Order: sequence, then C-alpha cells, then structure tokens
Amino acid sequence: MFKALEEAFVSELGSIKNSTYKLVLITLLPLMSFGLIIAIFYEGVVRDMPIAVVDGDKSKLSRQLLFNIESSPTIKIAQSVDSLQEAIELVQRGEVYGVVTIPEHFLRDTLLHKQPHVTAMLNTQYILIGKILTAALSATLMHSAGEVDYVETLMRVQNPQKSLNVVSPIGMQVTPFFNTYQNYFLFLVSALLPAIWQIFIVITTLVAVGSLFKSKNERLFFKDKYVGMRLIGMMLPYTAVFMLLGVLYLFYIYGTLGWNFEGSFAVMLFGLFLTTVAYQAVALLLFVTGFDYARSLSLGAVYTAPAFAFLGVTFPIFNMNGFALFWRDILPVSHLVALQISQANYGADIFLERDKLLTLFAFWIVFVPVVFAFKKRLKV
Amino acid sequence: MSFFQTFKREAKTIFSDIAIVLTIIGGVVLYSFLYPQPYSSQSVSGLAVSVVDLDLSDTSRDIIFKLNATPQISVTRVDVSEKDAKDALLEDKIKAIIVIPPHFKRDIALHKSPTIAVGADSSYFLIYGGVLEGAMKSILTEAATLKIAGLLQRGTPLSGAKEAYTPYSLNIINLFNSQNSYTQYVIPAVFILILQQTMLIGLGILGGGVNERQERRGPTWMVMFWRVLIFGSIFFTHMLFYFGFSFEFFGVTHLASIADLITFGIPFILATAFFGIFLGSLFSSREIATPVVLFSSLPLVFTAGFVWPLESVAGILQLFSNLVPSTPAINGFLKLNQMGAEFSMVLPQYTILWTQAVIYMFLGYYFINKKRKKYVNN
Repeated sequence: MFKALEEAFVSELGSIKNSTYKLVLITLLPLMSFGLIIAIFYEGVVRDMPIAVVDGDKSKLSRQLLFNIESSPTIKIAQSVDSLQEAIELVQRGEVYGVVTIPEHFLRDTLLHKQPHVTAMLNTQYILIGKILTAALSATLMHSAGEVDYVETLMRVQNPQKSLNVVSPIGMQVTPFFNTYQNYFLFLVSALLPAIWQIFIVITTLVAVGSLFKSKNERLFFKDKYVGMRLIGMMLPYTAVFMLLGVLYLFYIYGTLGWNFEGSFAVMLFGLFLTTVAYQAVALLLFVTGFDYARSLSLGAVYTAPAFAFLGVTFPIFNMNGFALFWRDILPVSHLVALQISQANYGADIFLERDKLLTLFAFWIVFVPVVFAFKKRLKV
Repeated sequence: MSFFQTFKREAKTIFSDIAIVLTIIGGVVLYSFLYPQPYSSQSVSGLAVSVVDLDLSDTSRDIIFKLNATPQISVTRVDVSEKDAKDALLEDKIKAIIVIPPHFKRDIALHKSPTIAVGADSSYFLIYGGVLEGAMKSILTEAATLKIAGLLQRGTPLSGAKEAYTPYSLNIINLFNSQNSYTQYVIPAVFILILQQTMLIGLGILGGGVNERQERRGPTWMVMFWRVLIFGSIFFTHMLFYFGFSFEFFGVTHLASIADLITFGIPFILATAFFGIFLGSLFSSREIATPVVLFSSLPLVFTAGFVWPLESVAGILQLFSNLVPSTPAINGFLKLNQMGAEFSMVLPQYTILWTQAVIYMFLGYYFINKKRKKYVNN
C-alpha cells in the first residue's frame, strides 16, 4: 500500500524534473509574482500626493497656511490656479487628487473672529488616497489654526502652558494595537501574498492531474486499486513545495520586514500544512467534475481569483453580507489569514485557534469523494 | 478556405469548447455578481468599541454619547477597568478601546488639557481608520463645545463664540463617490479588469488550442478578423450589460453619456481582442492561458492606480502596466463614468488604447504566421 504511495511520489518527482512548465510553475512564477507585488508597494508610505490650490486671499496668512500644507510629507502643491472650475478639471483629468480653496478676505475674517472656511475638495473615488489626504489636511489645518489661536491666547493669558491647554482643552493620544499603523505596505502585502499563494496551489494541482489525463497516461499511473495512495503520493511533492513557499512569504513579512510575530511558528506551520492540503483536495474536486484539464482550470480561476476581496483585510468581515461570508468560509485561505493575524498579533495558543485549524482540516474530507470519483472514472 | 467557411470554423471551435464558453459567458456573468458581494454594505460602520470611563462625570458621559452618535463607532461596552476592556478586545468582542482618564472633568476646568487615549486594532486598516475618524470627530466636537463655553464665560455673545472657537476651519467636500462607498470604489475598476481577463483567457485557450492541434485554418487576416468580430461582439454586449444592468443593480454611479462610453469602449475591446490573439499565438497548448492571465490579475489591479497611487509605484512598473489595455481603460472609464469628465480629458488613454490595438494586431499577425510555419503536419 505504501509502496504505491512511494512509487507515485517518485514518478511525479520525475515528471516535474522533465516538465519545464511544472518547474516554472512551482519556482519561478510564484517567486516572480511575490516579487512583483512587493515591488509595487515597495515605497510603503504614500507621499507627495499632488493637489491644486486656489488662493483667493493671497495674504501673509494664506501663504503661511499653504506653506504648512506643502510641508506635510503626504501632500505636494502641484499647481496654483485662479478658479475652482479650472482646479476641478485638473482633478477630472487625474493630474491632481484634490483642490484646497482659501476664501477671499481670509486674513481679515480670521482677525475679525468670523471663522472663514478653507475648503478641500478631494477625489474620494480613490478611497484610500482620499482618506490619506483627508487625514493629512485635517492635521495640517488644525495645527495651523492652533498656531494662530495660540498666539492670540498667549497675548491674553500671558502663560505659554496655559495658552496651549486653552487652545486644545482635550488631548488625544492614539495607540495602534499590534502593529504600527504607518505602512500600508504591510497590510496589503500580508494578505496579497497568501492570496497569490493559494492560486498557485490550485493551478499546480490541476496542472499535475490535468496533464496526466490529457496525455492519457492515467491508467499507467493509477495501475492498481490503491488510487487514494497514489493520489497522495502524486500530491506530496507539491505539498512540500507550497509549504516552503508559505514559510518563505511568512518569513518575508515577519522576518525581514520586522513586523511583530507574537505567536508560535509551529502553529503557523501546522496551519500552512492544513491549508495546502485543503486546497489540493478542493482543486482535485474541481477536476473530477469533468476530468477536463482546461475546464477545471477555468473553475479554479473562478474559485481562487476573487479570494483577496473576501479575506476581510481590506473590507472588514463584520460588514459583509451572508453570501460574502459563505464564500469567504469556503476559501481555506481566509481561515489561514485569520490564523496568521491572530498568531502574529495576539499570539493565541493552539487551543484558542482550534476553530480555525479544525475548519481547515474539514476541507480534507473533500478528498473522500475525490478518490471515489477517480475510482469510478478509472473503473478499478 | 473562403471568408465564410473561416467564420464557420472559428465559431464552431469557440462555441464547442466548454472551457472557452465557461469563461467568456459563464465567468463574466458569475463574476459580476460575485465580486460586489463583500462590499454590499458599502462602508464601514458600527465598529464595536469599549469606553473605559475612569471619570464617571457628566462630561465623560457626554463624550460617550458623542462617540455613539458617529456612524463609525458603536459603544457596546462601558468598562470600569482597562483590563476588562483588553480581555474583550482579545476575545474579538470589540475593535477598539477608548480611555477617559480619572479627574477628566476637573482637569478640563483647571485648563490642564487631559488626554483621551484611543487604542484600536490596527490589523485591519478600514477598522483602524474608522475608529480614529469617529473618535477624532467626537473629541474635537467636545473640545469645541468646551471652548465655546469658555468664550461665553468671558462674555463673548453666543453667535460670536460659535465662530471664534477656532481662527479658521476646514471644510472637506468629497468630490465623486461622496459617500466613500467601497462598492463605488472597487466595482467600476474591477469590472473592466474582469472583461479584459476573461476575454484574454478565452482567446488564449483558443489560440493555444489551434497551435496544439497545429491547425492551419484560413488566411491569417481572415482568422483574425472573425475572432475579433466574434469575441468583440460578445464582450461589447458584456460591457453594455456591466455598465447598464450591473451598475444600476449595485447602485454604482454612471455619469458618462452612452455615446462616450461606446466611443471609449470600442478601442478597449479591440485592443484587448488583438492582445488576446497575440497572447494566444504564443501559447503552445490550451492550458497555458488561464494560469498566465490569472497570475497577472492582482498585480494589474494594484498598478492601475485606483487603489494605490501611481505616484508611489516605480516608473518601470507603470510602464509595463500601460502595455496592457486594462490600465488605460480603467483610468479612462473611471474619469468618464465616475468623475463626469469630458471626452477630451480622456484623450491620452484613448490614444494609448488605439495604439495598443494597432501594435497587437501586427504582433498577432506576425506570430500566427511564424507559428504556422513551424507546424509539422498539414
């Protein structure tokens, strides 16, 4: 029985050695995809977002404010125009992400305590960019207005510390739990790498069995009744490779980027193993729906391509509807990423992670109908 | 082979291949329902927060009230110790903790500027950002109220005090997608990518299959003509379905005129069709297209410039991404349909698409001929 497993394992290793396509699929392509994603977000911090300004006052105060805005590392004043219409066209052309308008009589109204409004119109079609600009502009404006307020208050109360406290009666101190919130890179990359990783597992599994059936060598490979054993033997080389790639992306995120990892590496490794096999089982299930190579690839694409959106890293899970939650549940990677985040952040012990691990293990059951389908197809 | 015989043969190969039909018809329709699902509630709201009220004064209660009044935050617990709150956070019952320090009310009266601590789970950036936005809003409102009260005490009339609590203020207006809806953000762009990727997979399976079977078929230009016509008309219909039915169904803004959308859509469809024919001519079997196109999807989403600002992407990556129709197409369609731009404002993207169409047409022609010469049989 185990002889069958070993035979299949050795035979698949040989086939990988002889197929450039398979080799590329388990080495070069995943590494290149990882590298590409890392390269895209390499800068990590969003800076120098171009905006346009319409300075309707052209006073010392408005110039001071614009200077403060320009000093924000996030913002770059790319153009100064005379009319709002012109500025909005620049936004529509995509040359700038927003317009800051300083009203006429800005200085005069400020001195008269009439509280003039500086208006920022931001292109919130791009939500992330809009949010970053909103935060940067609010901080700059608050700071600049605070300076003016401070000078005035200081003249009245003649006490620097007290003036400061009058200007801002309540302070706010923000603590990001678990990870320092400065770098979007980490958020996106920590979910994108596993999302790409799972696509490779499914595709590679389908290529392995698909090419076997396409070349009509399936009866040669599954030559006795130990279909399940041979299937496991065939999958094992890929299980090992994808666990290695999984360790690699985890090492990149938590090892080289210096992101905290509070949890246990063993638990994470166990999770990677469960997930890899879970995906292999599901991929085989997609294959046995028709034993057609190209068609199973199309199914694999539908199944794995949208995974990133369902992980809950960008858009939170608890705002998702029932169907989205269901789809999320049938994607092993979402349980893996949940495990990854809770291990990295909270360092929960294996007992607390049992739900996620058991869910991942549950996907293995799929292997049973798969073996039956294979047996039926091969008539053994 | 005659002009119409070529058509019959192309159409037969396309529609009798389940993998192709599944992708270019089933996939396109299925994706249009699947992709918008996670974002059905559009924006992040009602984040569960615990307030640790160590002051228990009317001022602290007022802050809790103001926090609850923001759409982002819902105060589900008021704890008396930080430890209780922390435990709730670890059990994932809450996403953030806001601590109001002891003697909060007294310190305000003494102008000691007490500090409210806000801690939030930063593993998920919309959650973190939402908590911060809500907390900032309520605390600033409270601060403004306190300053107005101070001004009133000094004898400033109410109307004056309301304006004088800060020298000037910032008024932020959201141009386009003013609700900050996630659906509006993701769907219009991702749908363009879906159209492109499914068309590329379809043409890739077809081209790879022809190479694999070493079929010589009719004259190259005829084969290309019919492929573009068949795929083009199917995807033109899909495009109208997406912009018309799907956008309406999911409540996505559509500001562009139908004429503009079609004028811009034609070079997009043509460029993608020729690109797909070109890719298909390079593949040696039916099964290469799906993996190749699949792996390009995520990198293409993130170099298209709508999630991640192009200013922060290396120039070489931007250049590569502009070789693919989806990048100029997403940019152009977003400007026309989401931001109400004039057609003249998308001329750069329009030109790129036509240029791509012409270049890929020639490349496709060249490589189909080149592959044909290598065919052994026939």
